[in-house]
Amino acid sequence: MISFRKVSLIYPNSMTTVFDDVTLEVGEGEFVLLIGATGMGKSSALKLMNGLVPHHTGGILGGDIQVGGISTATVRPGELAHLIGIVGQNPINGFVTDIVEEEIAFAMESLAIDESVMRKRVEEVLDLLALTPLRRRTIASLSGGEQQRVAIAAALVMNPRILLLDEPTSALDPVAAEEVLAILQRIVHDLGVTVVIAEHRLERVIHYAERIIYIASDGTVQVGTPQDVMRNAEIAPPIVELARALGWEEIPLSVRDARRISAKETKDVGVGEPSPADIAVKAREQVVEVKRASLGYSAQEVINEITCSISSGEIVALMGRNGSGKSTLLKSLAGLVEVIRGEIKVCGKDPRGLSGSDLIELIGYIPQEPSDLLYGESVEEECALADHDNQLKAGTTLTLAQRLLPEINPKTHPRDLSEGQRLILVLAIVLTTSPKLLILDEPTRGLDYQSKERLISILRERAGSHSSAVLLATHDVELVAELAERVLFIADGELVSDGDVREVLTASLPFAPQISKIFAPSKWLTVREVVDALGR
Amino acid sequence: MSLSLNRDRVHPFAWWAWSILLAISLFISSDPWYATSLLLASALVVIRFRGDEPWSNSFSMALRFIAVILIIRMMIAILIGVPIPGATLFTLPTLPLPDWIAGIRIGGPVTSERLLSTLGEVMIIVGVVALFGAATSLASPHRSIRALPFSFYQLGLILTVATSIFPQLVASIKRIRVARRLRGQSAGGIRNWRKIAMPLLEDTLERSLDLSAAMESRGFGQRIKRTSYRPDSWGVLESSILASALLSGLLATISAGNSLAMGISGVLAGISVLLPLSEKNRSNQSSGSHLVGAQS
Repeated sequence: MISFRKVSLIYPNSMTTVFDDVTLEVGEGEFVLLIGATGMGKSSALKLMNGLVPHHTGGILGGDIQVGGISTATVRPGELAHLIGIVGQNPINGFVTDIVEEEIAFAMESLAIDESVMRKRVEEVLDLLALTPLRRRTIASLSGGEQQRVAIAAALVMNPRILLLDEPTSALDPVAAEEVLAILQRIVHDLGVTVVIAEHRLERVIHYAERIIYIASDGTVQVGTPQDVMRNAEIAPPIVELARALGWEEIPLSVRDARRISAKETKDVGVGEPSPADIAVKAREQVVEVKRASLGYSAQEVINEITCSISSGEIVALMGRNGSGKSTLLKSLAGLVEVIRGEIKVCGKDPRGLSGSDLIELIGYIPQEPSDLLYGESVEEECALADHDNQLKAGTTLTLAQRLLPEINPKTHPRDLSEGQRLILVLAIVLTTSPKLLILDEPTRGLDYQSKERLISILRERAGSHSSAVLLATHDVELVAELAERVLFIADGELVSDGDVREVLTASLPFAPQISKIFAPSKWLTVREVVDALGR
Repeated sequence: MSLSLNRDRVHPFAWWAWSILLAISLFISSDPWYATSLLLASALVVIRFRGDEPWSNSFSMALRFIAVILIIRMMIAILIGVPIPGATLFTLPTLPLPDWIAGIRIGGPVTSERLLSTLGEVMIIVGVVALFGAATSLASPHRSIRALPFSFYQLGLILTVATSIFPQLVASIKRIRVARRLRGQSAGGIRNWRKIAMPLLEDTLERSLDLSAAMESRGFGQRIKRTSYRPDSWGVLESSILASALLSGLLATISAGNSLAMGISGVLAGISVLLPLSEKNRSNQSSGSHLVGAQS
C-alpha cells in the first residue's frame, strides 16, 4: 500500500538529512506503529506518506514514495484526499468549520461529491465513531477526546484506504485514549483500512500494533514485528523493560502475555508484596492549603468544594479525566482563577494577591505549553532575562540550565530545541528562584522516555534536597507510578480520592500502570521495584 | 410543513436581509422613537433565537459598544456644542476660546433641548448598531460564507481562515499574558508588548500553516465546483422574517413623526419572536428528524 524506495529527505535551510536512504513497505490493512525519539522525524514520515512533505513544507526528496500505486512526488496532497486521511498532532488547528457535521462533510464538499451520497456517508461515520449525539454541537464545546474522534471521522468519511495519525492519544486521558484506539483497531479489522500511527506512549498502543517502524536515534530505520523491534529498541514500554530486566526469553506486549510469562518464570521465587513505604521522618510544613474551595470562570463552577493540602518535600500527582477540572485547580494555586467560595492559601498567603517577584519566589508554574514562557532569541538571552527579572547575579540561570541540560548550546534559539529540552530550559528558569511550590500542567505531553527520565530526576531532587512541594497534573500513569507519593483524583470537579499512590493507582483499572496490572493483586508499580524485590 | 422556527436552519441571509432592510428604513425615517423600538425588537429577537455558538455573544458586544457611543456622545453634547436656547438644566464654567471659532463653545449653560436633540440623533446610530449586532449573533459567519455564490468562494476561503484565527489570537494573547505573570513580570510596557508580539505571531502563523495543510490534504481546491452538505434553503419562514422587516420599514417611512405608528412598526419588526421554536432540533439528539427539517 505504501512503499518507500531509497527515500532521503532534507528540509530547506537545514544542513542535515531527516531520512537517509530509507526503504520500507506497508501492506494493505496493517496496523503499523511508528516510533522514535522526539525530533527523529516521525511527523515528517507521516507527512511524506500523503505528500504534505515536500509539497507543503518545501525540502528536497530523494528516491520514490508510492502510495496505492501513485508516486507522491507527482501529485498534490489534495489529489490523494480520496486515498489517504491524515489526522494531525493538534486536530483543533485543522478544523475548518464550527459544527461537527459540517466539519465531517468538508472534504466531500471540496471533492464535489453528490449531496445524497454525502448525507449517507456522514451518517455512517457518525455511527462508527459514536458521534451521533454530538452532531449539532460546536466543535469548540467538545472535550479533547471528542475532538480527536471528530478529526478521525472527518478523515474516514472519504473512505480512504490509508489513515495516518500523529500522536492521537497524547492529549487524552487513559479512558479516552482507549476509546480512540479501540475504534482504530475496529477500522483496521472491519474495513481493512491501513492505519499508521505515530506515538510516544507505547504502553498505550503497542498491543494493537502488527508491525513497528522504528526510527533509531542514529537515523537508521528498522521495520519488523513488535517482538523483534522491542528486543533491543532504545524506546520501550514498562512491560518490555520488565521482560528485559528479568531476562525473559519471550518479550510480552500485552498484560495478558506478561501475566502468563511471569506466572511461569517467577513461580518458584514469587514476587511477594511490596513493603510498606518508609514513613518520611523529615519535618514537613504545610505549603498548600485548600479549604472548601469552589472555583470557576464567570460564575460557572468547575471545581466544587475541594479540600486538600500539600506539604513541603512532597510530590503529588493530580489525576482525572479530560475536563474534570485539573487545570483549573492548578491555575487557582497560581492565582489565575477566581475563587467563588472557600479559601486557597500558599504558604499562608492568598496567591491572587501576589505578583512579580513575590509570586515567583513562592510559586513556580509550568503551563501546558512551556514555550509560552520563552521569548528570548537564544538560550543565553532567555537566561539573562530571567536573571534580570529575578534580580539575581548574572549567569545564575545559565549555570543551572547548563547543569540540567549539559549538551545545550547557549546560542541556540529556544524554538530549535526539542520539546524535551525546551521543557527543561523552562524548568531551569522557573527553578532559579527556588519556589516553595512547583506546579506542572501535563509536563510529559510529547516527551520521549529519555526526556521523561531527566524530568523525573530533576523533580525528585527538588522535592528532596530543596524540599519544594511538587504538584503535577498528568494523564501519564507510568510517570505517576514512578514519581509521585500521593495522588489526588478529581472527577467532575470533585475530589474523589486522596491517598497513597500505590492505593489509588492499583484501585482503578484504567489508571493502573502496566506493572500493577501484571502483578495484581500484589500492589507493585514500577519495574525497578519488582527487579529489586526479586534481587536480580 | 409546520410554521415553527428551527433556529439552526434559518437561512443566514434571512437575518441579514432583515437587519439591512430595517437599517435602511431607519435612516429614511430618522425617527428616534422608531430607533428605540427597533433596539428593543432586536434584543427580543436575539434573546429568543440565539444559540450557544461562539458568535452568539456578538449582540452583547454590540450593546456594550452602544453604551460607549451613548456616553461619549452625551459627554461631548454637554461640554462642547452650538448653543441651543431653551430650559437650562445647569451651567458649566465657560472656557474662553479665540474669536475666530465663534459659534462653538466649551462649557456654558446646558439646555434640555440640546441634550434631547443630541440623544435623538445618536439613537439612529444606536439602532443600526443593534440591528447589525443582532444579525451577526444570529447568523453563523461560516454558513453565511458558504451561502455566497461560487465566484466569491476564494474570498470566502480567506474569511474562513481569518474568522477561525481571530478567536485563536485572543486565546493566545491571554495565554501569553498569563505566562508573563508567571515569570514574575508586571504587565504593560512597550518593551513587554514587543516581546509578546513575537511568540504571538509565531503561534498564529503555525496555526494558519496547520489549517492550510489540513485543508490541502482534505482535497480543498481540487474541484472548481463544490457541493454543499445540507444547503440552506429559502422557505416560508425566511420569507416571513423578510416580510416583517418590509412591513415595518414601510409603515415607519410613510408615517415618520407619529410615535404610535413607530411603536407599531417596532412590534412588526420583532413579530418573528412569536414563532415557536421547534424543540426537536434544539436537543441535538435526533438523527433523522432534522433531515426532514432541512428538506422542509
